[in-house]
Amino acid sequence: MKRSVGQILGRAGIRIPLILWTIAVLYPIFWMFLGSFKSNAEIYRNPWGFPESFSLDNFVTAWTNYNIDTSVFNSLIVTVIGTVLTLVLAIPTAYAIERIQFRGSKALFLLYISAMMIPMVLGWIPLFFLLARLNLLDNIYGLAIVYAVSQLPFTIFVLTSFISTIPKSLEESAAMDGMSPYMVLWKIITPLSMSGIITVTIMNAIQFWNEYFMALIFLNTSSNYTLALAIDFISSEAQYTNAWGTLFASLVIAIIPVIVLYAIFQRRIAKGLTEGAIKG
Amino acid sequence: MVQSKKQKYLFLAFCLIPTFLLFAVFTLYPLFSGLYYSFFDWSGSSQNKEFIGFANYIKLVKDAIIPNTIMHDYFLVVTKVIGIMILALFFAVALTQLKIKEAPFYRIVFFFPNIMSVVVIGILWTFIYNPSLGLINSGLEFIGLESLAKPWLGDETWALPSLVLPSIWAGIGLFMLMLIGGISNISKSYYEAAEIDGASEWQQFWKVTLPLIWPQIKISILYIVITTLNGSFIIVQVMTGGGPNNATHVMGSYLYQQAFVQYNFGYGATIGVMILILSLLTVLILQFFMRRDKVEY
Repeated sequence: MKRSVGQILGRAGIRIPLILWTIAVLYPIFWMFLGSFKSNAEIYRNPWGFPESFSLDNFVTAWTNYNIDTSVFNSLIVTVIGTVLTLVLAIPTAYAIERIQFRGSKALFLLYISAMMIPMVLGWIPLFFLLARLNLLDNIYGLAIVYAVSQLPFTIFVLTSFISTIPKSLEESAAMDGMSPYMVLWKIITPLSMSGIITVTIMNAIQFWNEYFMALIFLNTSSNYTLALAIDFISSEAQYTNAWGTLFASLVIAIIPVIVLYAIFQRRIAKGLTEGAIKG
Repeated sequence: MVQSKKQKYLFLAFCLIPTFLLFAVFTLYPLFSGLYYSFFDWSGSSQNKEFIGFANYIKLVKDAIIPNTIMHDYFLVVTKVIGIMILALFFAVALTQLKIKEAPFYRIVFFFPNIMSVVVIGILWTFIYNPSLGLINSGLEFIGLESLAKPWLGDETWALPSLVLPSIWAGIGLFMLMLIGGISNISKSYYEAAEIDGASEWQQFWKVTLPLIWPQIKISILYIVITTLNGSFIIVQVMTGGGPNNATHVMGSYLYQQAFVQYNFGYGATIGVMILILSLLTVLILQFFMRRDKVEY
């Protein structure tokens, strides 16, 4: 089939919006990195260009004067405990719902799934007082528990669909050999659904690392701030102090782990998020 | 499996009960007690909790800010659905149908903002809109349109529309991938048949692609609507805090302000009930209108 000149031009033309959107996505991110190397004076002089020199002063200031070190540590703890707790809670439930016949298993599954559509903001007010009563308010471990439970529906949803692909014969023969159901879950199901477990874990980790609003409500001492809160604090202070360079440096610190995870697990993350959304 | 009934139930309890208990305590109980709180006048301390029946709901109906917050939320819903769906559909079609070699590169780049923290996105865009240093005003100046430059987020008319762009910027990738998934499931033979019948590429798009990815389009729209109604307040909180002069308050950010800034916890819960009802109603109505027989050729 011969292509007309118009069609060839059309093919080239189609790239223009693609390239423009690429620039729209990448430029602000690059610019954030560039800004993190500039002094405040330079940011005012030349906000959108290349830095004159690559100085790490902003990172040092953010790290030492703005307690970013503590916040990074808090965010790490919340992320690690949150993801592990989510798995510990979700794997057995996903397995039971998918593989063991019992009355109400469908209803239980629906209950978890429908929680994904409910605006949790209504629950945050009572949750605030519940955490206060449990002495878990302004406490990163309390926040980690809240995070873990908030991601349960999504995690159970993804894991049940992974577990359903494992052939039943494997469990049956293991049970024949006298393996207890606990061991089947631990030694057979968990390793065989590792791919799904890794996917949800990465998704949950990014979610917890990035989360802002629950942290805003449930934490209030600056030594307990997660990274998102610390950055928000620097940002609102920058209105008066104009410490933009420090702000950019802390944004860079927050985004680097996400970029690294995305670079390694790009396919998994994209697949996990689209499947999570399709639950409808 | 060879095991007694008792063992089976023990194992079931082991699998289900701890998880369900935590879920009940940290998700179900707060939601239901949110409903309950909405009937109280309560500033947070236990002594001053007074049952006032529907008074909070009457206050809600009379509160002049509430209709604005609802309007703002639906403004964001409509603009985001239109903006995201048009761009995501365009990119999805371009990246699948046109055999562009570097398509995976675009896919990877366009998706990335979806996993960025709202805080990072909000702060980046606040700076892009910055009146003196920001990219938008500098760009307008550069092309000689200084007259259009304004303090975007500080302007009562422009602050809310300014929030749409970052939301679209951050949202497109996910929906593009969902639509790509739909398009790549369409059998090539439909396009071949259409080509033999002499259908142009436009006609192929309208008659083949669009009807066959309707399920993905429907899910995408629903998902944008739900996430906006249930979560638009996060970007509002980061970028404007509801200001200037309440011009960008959405239902959720107003709830936050009432409950956690002004300590009207009962009234905050009432706003939460309103969000719940509106979001469920909207989804139900949308599902009814988007019902369309599954197309099979």
